Amino acid sequence: MIVKDVVCPFCGCLCDDIEVEVEENRVVAVANACELGTTKFMGEERLKGPILRDGDGWKEITYDEAIRYAADTLLSAERPLLYGWSGTHGEAQCVGVHMAELIRGVIDNTSSVCHGPSILAIQEVGHPGCTLGVVKNRADLVIYWGSNPIDAHPRHLSRYTRYADGFFLENAFRDRKVIVVDIRRTQTANIADEFVQIKPGGDYAVLSALRAIVQGKTETIPRTVAGVTREQLVRVANLCKGAKFGAVYFGVGLTMTRGKYKNIRNAIELVSELSRHTKFTISAMRGHYNVYGSNEVNTWMTGYPFGIDFSRGIAFYNPGETTAVDILARKECDAALIVGSDPAAHFPRRCLEHLAEIPVVQLDPYPNATTAFCNVQIPVAVTGIDAVGTAYRMDGVPIRTRRVLSTDYPSDRDVLFQMYALMQEVRGR
Amino acid sequence: MTFLMITGRTVNQGVTVEKKTSAAYAEETSTCFMHEFDMLELGLADQDTVMLTGVCGTVVMRAVASGEVEMGTVFVPYGPYANHIIAADTHSTGMPDFKSHEVEIEPTDEEPKTVHGLMEDLGGLAYDR
Repeated sequence: MIVKDVVCPFCGCLCDDIEVEVEENRVVAVANACELGTTKFMGEERLKGPILRDGDGWKEITYDEAIRYAADTLLSAERPLLYGWSGTHGEAQCVGVHMAELIRGVIDNTSSVCHGPSILAIQEVGHPGCTLGVVKNRADLVIYWGSNPIDAHPRHLSRYTRYADGFFLENAFRDRKVIVVDIRRTQTANIADEFVQIKPGGDYAVLSALRAIVQGKTETIPRTVAGVTREQLVRVANLCKGAKFGAVYFGVGLTMTRGKYKNIRNAIELVSELSRHTKFTISAMRGHYNVYGSNEVNTWMTGYPFGIDFSRGIAFYNPGETTAVDILARKECDAALIVGSDPAAHFPRRCLEHLAEIPVVQLDPYPNATTAFCNVQIPVAVTGIDAVGTAYRMDGVPIRTRRVLSTDYPSDRDVLFQMYALMQEVRGR
Repeated sequence: MTFLMITGRTVNQGVTVEKKTSAAYAEETSTCFMHEFDMLELGLADQDTVMLTGVCGTVVMRAVASGEVEMGTVFVPYGPYANHIIAADTHSTGMPDFKSHEVEIEPTDEEPKTVHGLMEDLGGLAYDR
């Protein structure tokens, strides 16, 4: 059986044109997806059932036992951390927020270590963005800044920019210019019309220089700025001003370097400057397929997009204090629930040293690096493969994922809801 | 020699990301992509092992020449190897310096550890060994 129009649950592109061939309840072939998506659909090495750390070994337990253990652990903690949430559907994220409020925990999602700084900048100066479809059909100039879609979002170029047709472009491949700004000559840089190579840490200065040129103050620019010649900066600024519709897509190359959210703020202000001359937009290249959703769900439920602390009984937000890396590094939390992410692979070692000292419960279909720090891991269905749910694409468009397989695994939402119900019983709500 | 270590996504890292305890994931995330002149300077051939020392520890990786990085910079795919030497300070933003870490790199005879080995060094217990 071939299932058409399947939504890929890997990256923020949420490609919705995937065809999956299923035989005897196994995925045997995937069409239209990139290598990342195909591998995810074909993945089979899942945990069979919940496991419990038992001294120097592991033992299998039932779902009921695992869920009871998780609820008891989180209820008895003084400062529980509920982290992850980007690799699951919105319905599960909702239950997570309710749970965090009930147990007065801290809920944070993976955006604090990807585009959290972008959100901080957006909170300062706003977000002149648009959907991917607008860029596909209208943009005659696309800038990838600190992002490498060939490796991280392989179909972004073919669905929306370099290799995509555009309704308002006669010959999109010829008429649409692509500029790549990076410190590395990536594969994406090789397919650009113009590659701007910046010295590490120089993004802020180059953005400021471009703003000055767009404002007509070219004479203030030195011969080179962070390794970029004045001539190239002027050429790039002229390309931008001459475009009918420009779109900037920035990656974590801007959020993870020195300056962090100030880099993004400067990029947004460059876009505002350019919009005095032509039409320009800017958006983040979101990584996990539903990391945008975790920001949306958290924001409409609590007012804040990530790093929300309920210890006061109300939602409190202070990135750097209420974000997961900081809480773990300060050895502050005394229990952790991990859903849809793998902090042991992606957090600095000091955070892991604390994870080893506290009870950890993880909801994840696969054994991963965080498994080693778990007291209990509960395997769940994979959203978009054997569970349905809502995910938000990188441009904020909510898309309902589909199910291509039927398995006995419960969804994240099911497991979390049972945990939450047990907690409500104990707390008498 | 001192280098600036940058971490980031690669296709191979993404393909193996749901199989974090596999040899393929370990191989990809323990690769230190370097400029070939820097490798010459250190007397390294492709796949030679190198010791990276950061502010909070050391980790062994394999050096591989890459035309993508500039001299003085190395690139390591996201994962537990790079994070073994990345500091947790976020400068009050929530975000560590994943793309701006100074590291010392020198040749070594040691072999890279497995992902299980790294996790157990930090107090974890491997499950699917």
